[in-house]
Amino acid sequence: MAGITFKNVVKTYDNGVTVIPDLNMEIKDKEFVVLVGPSGCGKSTTLRMIAGLEGISSGDLYIGDTRMNAVAPKDRDIAMVFQNYALYPHMTVYKNMAFALTLKKVPKDEIDRKVHEAAEILGLEEYLDRKPKALSGGQRQRVALGRAMVRNPSVFLLDEPLSNLDAKLRTEMRSQISKLHKQLETTFVYVTHDQTEAMTMGDRICVMKDGIIQQFDTPQKLYNEPCNLFVAGFIGSPQMNFADAVVEKTDQGYELVFGETRVPTQREELAPYVGRTVVLGIRPEHLRAGEEYIRGGNTLTAEVDLSEMMGSETYLYLNYAGSRFIAKLPGTVIAPAGSKVTLALDVDRIHVFDKETEKSILN
Amino acid sequence: MEKRTSYGRTILAYVVLIILAFLCLFFFYILIINATRNHAQIQQGFSFLPGKSFWVNLHNVMNDANIPVMSGIKNSLIVSGAAAILATYFSSLTAYGLYAYDFKLKRPAFIFIMLILVMPTQVSALGFVRLVTGMGMINTLWPLFLPSIAAPAVFYFMYSYMQSTLPLDLVEAARIDGSSEFRTFNRIVLPIMKPAIAVQAIFTFVTTWNNFFVPALIISDNSKKTMPILIAALRSADFMKFDMGKVYMIILIAILPIIIVYLILSRYIIAGVTLGGVKE
Ligand SMILES: Nc1ncnc2c1ncn2[C@@H]1O[C@H](COP(=O)(O)OP(=O)(O)OP(=O)(O)O)[C@@H](O)[C@H]1O
Ligand SMILES: [Mg+2]
Repeated sequence: MAGITFKNVVKTYDNGVTVIPDLNMEIKDKEFVVLVGPSGCGKSTTLRMIAGLEGISSGDLYIGDTRMNAVAPKDRDIAMVFQNYALYPHMTVYKNMAFALTLKKVPKDEIDRKVHEAAEILGLEEYLDRKPKALSGGQRQRVALGRAMVRNPSVFLLDEPLSNLDAKLRTEMRSQISKLHKQLETTFVYVTHDQTEAMTMGDRICVMKDGIIQQFDTPQKLYNEPCNLFVAGFIGSPQMNFADAVVEKTDQGYELVFGETRVPTQREELAPYVGRTVVLGIRPEHLRAGEEYIRGGNTLTAEVDLSEMMGSETYLYLNYAGSRFIAKLPGTVIAPAGSKVTLALDVDRIHVFDKETEKSILN
Repeated sequence: MEKRTSYGRTILAYVVLIILAFLCLFFFYILIINATRNHAQIQQGFSFLPGKSFWVNLHNVMNDANIPVMSGIKNSLIVSGAAAILATYFSSLTAYGLYAYDFKLKRPAFIFIMLILVMPTQVSALGFVRLVTGMGMINTLWPLFLPSIAAPAVFYFMYSYMQSTLPLDLVEAARIDGSSEFRTFNRIVLPIMKPAIAVQAIFTFVTTWNNFFVPALIISDNSKKTMPILIAALRSADFMKFDMGKVYMIILIAILPIIIVYLILSRYIIAGVTLGGVKE
C-alpha cells in the first residue's frame, strides 16, 4: 500500500551544492530498507525528502501512487524518529506520544488505548507520567519509537536512531526495531552509517556515496557480490583486504600474482586483463589457516604485526607485499605478534576489481 | 595550603556579598522606616526605629485628590503588564521566525533589528509623539505599551536562548506530527522558552514601571498618569504642603508591585541566569 519511488530526483541546497545528483530508487511496500554510506553522502537528505522536511529540486517522489513533491509532511502518512529523539521536553511521555493524535482530534479514549498499546509493546507503561528528562537514553529512544507508532503510519523513517546509545543497548534496540517492523507490517526506511546495523536489520541495503547509489540489494548479495571497490570496502567488518595483483595466463587458466603469492582461478572474465594490474579483494574471514585451502601458490607468509585474541576468534594483522592484511581466524589459532604465519586465500571467495573503473570483474 | 586559600576566598566573597546586600537593602530599610514617620521626624534626620505615622501617611496619600495613587497603580499595572506580555510574546515570535526559517532577507532583517537596538529612545521621541498625536492616541495608555511589540533587546535574548536550547528537530517532529506552524510555536516553542520569557517579562515590567520619559510626554490627564509621573509631581507640589512622610509612603506603594512580580517569577530568574551554561 505504500512503497516509495524516487524518479530522477535531484537535490540542490540553497547554497548551490548539489547533494543528490540523480536518484532513482524503488522501495517496496512493507520492506525494511537501510540507507548506508559514509558521513555526508546524502542519507539524511534522502530521508528528509521522503518526510517532506526538505524540498525536491527536480524529479518526482511517490509514496504509494501519490506524487508527494508538494505534499506537506503531515499529509504524507509518515512518521520519523530522529537521532537525538526530538522529544518535547515539557510534555510527559504520554503527552509526547499522544500529541499527533490530539492534533488530529482523535477521540480521547481511542488515544488512550493507542498510547497504552504502544507503551506495552515498548515496555514503557510505568514511565508514561515522566518527562523525557527523567528517562535513560534507551527509554527516550523507545518513546520516540512509540510516538511514531501510535500514528500508525504507512512509512516509518528512522535517521540513525541508535547512534546515541551504548553498544549493548544498541544491540538490544536493533532487535526490538526489527521485531517492530514485523509486527507493524509497514515500510521502514532506516539511515545508519553502521554497517552491522545495516546487515542485521535490512531486507535490502542501499549503499550510497556522494549522493549516488552504489548498490541496492540484499545483505547477502552485498556481502558475496559487491559490485565495486567502495561497496566491498564498506560492507563487512573488519574491512575487506585489498592488494594490487597482476593477471597472468597459465595452462589451467589464470593466476593473480602479488608478492610471492599466485592465486589460481579459472574465471574467464579475467581474459581481457591478462598482463594488467587489477585489485584483488579478500575478506579477512576468507584468509584461512587450514592446509586444505592451499591450491598451488595461493598462500602468503608474513610476520604477525599484531594479534587480537577475542576468544571466539583471533584477528591477525600482517604487512605483506606492500599491503596491510587482516585475517579473521578461529579462536583456536594462536599466533603471537612477531611469529610467522602462512595463510591461504580461499580461491572461491576472492573478489577482483578493475583498477580504473573500480567495478567488480567477477560478478 | 590549597584548602586555606579557598577558605579565605570564601570568606572574602561573603564579606563582599554582605556589603553589597547591605548597600542594596539599606535604602529599602530607610524607605520603609521613613514611610512610618511624619514630616517633622524625617526632617530631624535618620532613625533606625520606625515611627507611628504609618496610617496617617497612608491616609494622606489615599485622600490627596491631586495624587490619584490608586489609579496611578492601576495604570502602571496595565501598562507594565501589557508591555511585558507583548514584548516577550512578540519578541519570541520574531526570534523564532528568524531562527527556524530560512529566507532570503534573513540576515538583513537580523541586522536591522540589531540597529534599532542601539538607537536611544530620546532620538526618536519627537517623531514618536507626533505619530501618536496623528493617530489620536495622545493622552491615552496605548502608546505606553504598544511599542513593546518591537523590543530588539528582548528579541536578541530570545534568539540566543533558542540557539542554545531549541533543537530544530523538535520543530520538524512537530511538523510531522501534524502541528501547524503557529501551533508549534504556541504549544512547543513557548513552553520551552519559559525561563527566558520569565526573565524578560520581569525586566520589561520593571523598566516600563519605572519609565518616566515617555509617559511624561504622552500623558497629561491626572487620571491616566502612571506612578513615576505622580511621584515626580509630588516634588513640584506646593512647597508649604510638602510632606516627606507622604512621599516615602507613595514610593513604598510604588515599588510594592515590582517586589511582588519579582517574587512570583524569581525562581525562573535563577534558572535564567544560569541560562546557556547548562546544556543537556
Ligand atoms: N541545509 C543544508 N544546506 C546546505 N548543505 C547541506 C544542508 N544539509 C546538508 N547539507 C550537505 O549535504 C550533504 C549531505 O548531507 P546529509 O546530512 O544528507 O549527509 P548524511 O549522509 O546524513 O551524513 P551523516 O552520516 O553525517 O549524517 C553534506 O555534504 C552536507 O554538508
Ligand atoms: Mg545524517
